[in-house]
Amino acid sequence: MATHFAALVIIIPLIAALFVPIIGWWKKGLCYPLVVAVLIVPLISSLGILNRVIESGPFSYYLGGWAPPWGIEYAIDYLNAFVLVIISAISLIVSIYSKKSVEKEMPEKVVPFYSLFLLLVTGLLGIVVTGDLFNVFVFLEIAALSCYALMAIGRDGAPFATFRYIIMGTIGASFYLLGVGYLYIITGSLNMLDVAQRLPEFYHSRVVLTAGVFMIVGIGLKMALYPLHAWAPNAYADAPSTVSGLVAPLMTKVAAYMMIRIMFTVFKPVFFVEIIPVTTILTWMAAVSIIVGSIYAIAQTDLKKMLSYSIVAQIGYIALGIGLANRSGLTGAVLHILNEAFTKGCVFLVAGAIVYKMGSCNINDFKDLYRKMPFTMSAFLIGAFSMVGIPPTCGFFSKIYLIMGAINAEKWIFVAVLLFSSILNVIYFFRVIKIAAFDEVIPDYSRTTPYITYRLDEVPLSMLIPILIMAAGILVCGIFSPEIINTVIQHIIPASF
Amino acid sequence: MLEYIISKYNFWVYIILLLIGLYAMLGKKNLVKKLIGMNIFQSAVILFYVSIGVKKGGATVPIFMGDAHAAHGHGQAIIDVASYINPLPHVLMLTAIVVSIATTGVALAVLILIFRRYKTLELDEIIKIRKDTGV
Amino acid sequence: MKVIAILIIVLTGGLLIYGVEEMPDWGDPNSPASSHVSPKYIQEALEKTATPNMVTAVLGDYRGYDTMGETAVIFTAGIGCILMLRKKRKGEGD
Repeated sequence: MATHFAALVIIIPLIAALFVPIIGWWKKGLCYPLVVAVLIVPLISSLGILNRVIESGPFSYYLGGWAPPWGIEYAIDYLNAFVLVIISAISLIVSIYSKKSVEKEMPEKVVPFYSLFLLLVTGLLGIVVTGDLFNVFVFLEIAALSCYALMAIGRDGAPFATFRYIIMGTIGASFYLLGVGYLYIITGSLNMLDVAQRLPEFYHSRVVLTAGVFMIVGIGLKMALYPLHAWAPNAYADAPSTVSGLVAPLMTKVAAYMMIRIMFTVFKPVFFVEIIPVTTILTWMAAVSIIVGSIYAIAQTDLKKMLSYSIVAQIGYIALGIGLANRSGLTGAVLHILNEAFTKGCVFLVAGAIVYKMGSCNINDFKDLYRKMPFTMSAFLIGAFSMVGIPPTCGFFSKIYLIMGAINAEKWIFVAVLLFSSILNVIYFFRVIKIAAFDEVIPDYSRTTPYITYRLDEVPLSMLIPILIMAAGILVCGIFSPEIINTVIQHIIPASF
Repeated sequence: MLEYIISKYNFWVYIILLLIGLYAMLGKKNLVKKLIGMNIFQSAVILFYVSIGVKKGGATVPIFMGDAHAAHGHGQAIIDVASYINPLPHVLMLTAIVVSIATTGVALAVLILIFRRYKTLELDEIIKIRKDTGV
Repeated sequence: MKVIAILIIVLTGGLLIYGVEEMPDWGDPNSPASSHVSPKYIQEALEKTATPNMVTAVLGDYRGYDTMGETAVIFTAGIGCILMLRKKRKGEGD
């Protein structure tokens, strides 16, 4: 059993996705408990995988028993296992949350929704677990297609935003595929570790250079990094709340994982740092991403749209950490993947809860929300603290590592960008908190009771508990971040750093 | 020079197709044209992969010729690698073709949703409606 | 819009043409693509999988996991279209 944990991660959600329509056809109400029960399996398996990696180091799993590079291999190391745990944990929490929100937003579409939900999780897990370059593309498309379909049924502008996402996502995936083809021409292999072994002698070939650039641009499109971000904010903001709660924390982070994998496993760090200056370009793109994303976020009055621009800014942090290409920078980037997954999950679920209660999420309507929904908004406060980087939330630690990385690389401009972006984050998050907590409601003296008395009007428990778990996750990850770095993240850093 | 161009002409063909597709995806104003551009773009990548598999000098389709039962029965039959073309790119492209069809299908469904909402598929008209109504 | 598109085309095309220079010649039987992984498929497919068609052998067996992903992609597209396009029929309610 334990030896097959790696396969279970994918197989169980995939098979369940096939069974959801059948069971939903019989009894609609069974879909939700089935999905929640099924998503426990990947979490247990990925915790088992992580445990095994920590105990006995990286291992591989041959699918169908064919030895690599002829067959497909799962090559599992610290990075895979770590991201797998993040994905399966977040998707389980979001699936618990989904019940009321889905019933309210699309009562007649519950069955196909849950099937696609599982397929999306399968795709994301599949990208991370595999050790084969082409297999990544296949699962990337499973994730992308289910994501398109789920996003398209959101509020008014959703189909159009989704169509842009389809165009951009397809360009990204095809560029990645093209890069894989170029690597195949030059090395004759598709297995990541095999390619990594055969590649160094060709590092000065133009074919490899082209391959590297195409792969990074393709993944950059999926990551929504400036200037390739144009599709992202509308698509995320218009999606149904549960979908943005699942996609926003995970999709771009999985792309970030792919970028780390390509840059530091398939290619040796020396290629992107010294032979072609991709890391330098990446850091600048990331810096612009951080500033532009934050400024656009300030300009929004719609909470979900503000958070979507904030994704562009936050993905910039991760890209900056990757681009700095030193020990502290990459530690910060990987820690930020964890932090972002929980933080963005938390704030998007809060946005979904507000939509559930109020029907929209215009920031100016938030007056007295703290009195109506104290628990939900406290979770939002923790999320905002993490975004800004206030201890003991996880955001503080990842930012510290990123700033240390920038200092070690002696790139002072990025230190300034990181500090400045914290101020921008303060502006756009605390504006929301100010309206929700401190804005006086103007008493209406024409009425007999001038002060409207607000009763406690919290969201249902099935939504509140996942939100609180996410908020607790932010704090726990922050408090235990030294342990996380010591047991997992320090092994992810390539030896040459 | 001419020889150089001819010796790699598969690459030129796919580059031209890829650029036509990419231009249609980014530059055209009609959403269906964008979608067709996407198909051309993906076909270009598929052609590129298939062309990797070619071997000159008498190689044929990757299906074992001769007595399969006899060869299978006698264990390790000696099969000349140069007489069959490379099967791997073909396998990969079978998958990629399916992916491309699936993407087209989903995109068409999204187009139907767009048409239901805006009653048009012209990009500038949609943008105008979005500006006017604020969605 | 058009200007940006043309700019992107020029950049992409330039990069692609730049990369062609050092590609192996078309149809070279000794190129890495034809000499590292694939010979084993040609030589062993019949013996190991009892399938004379090597493409089938690789598709269904050596890289069967990819094919599983491929079918999942089709399933995803189908369910996705149902999710997006299905309208509630009159009189159907629960």
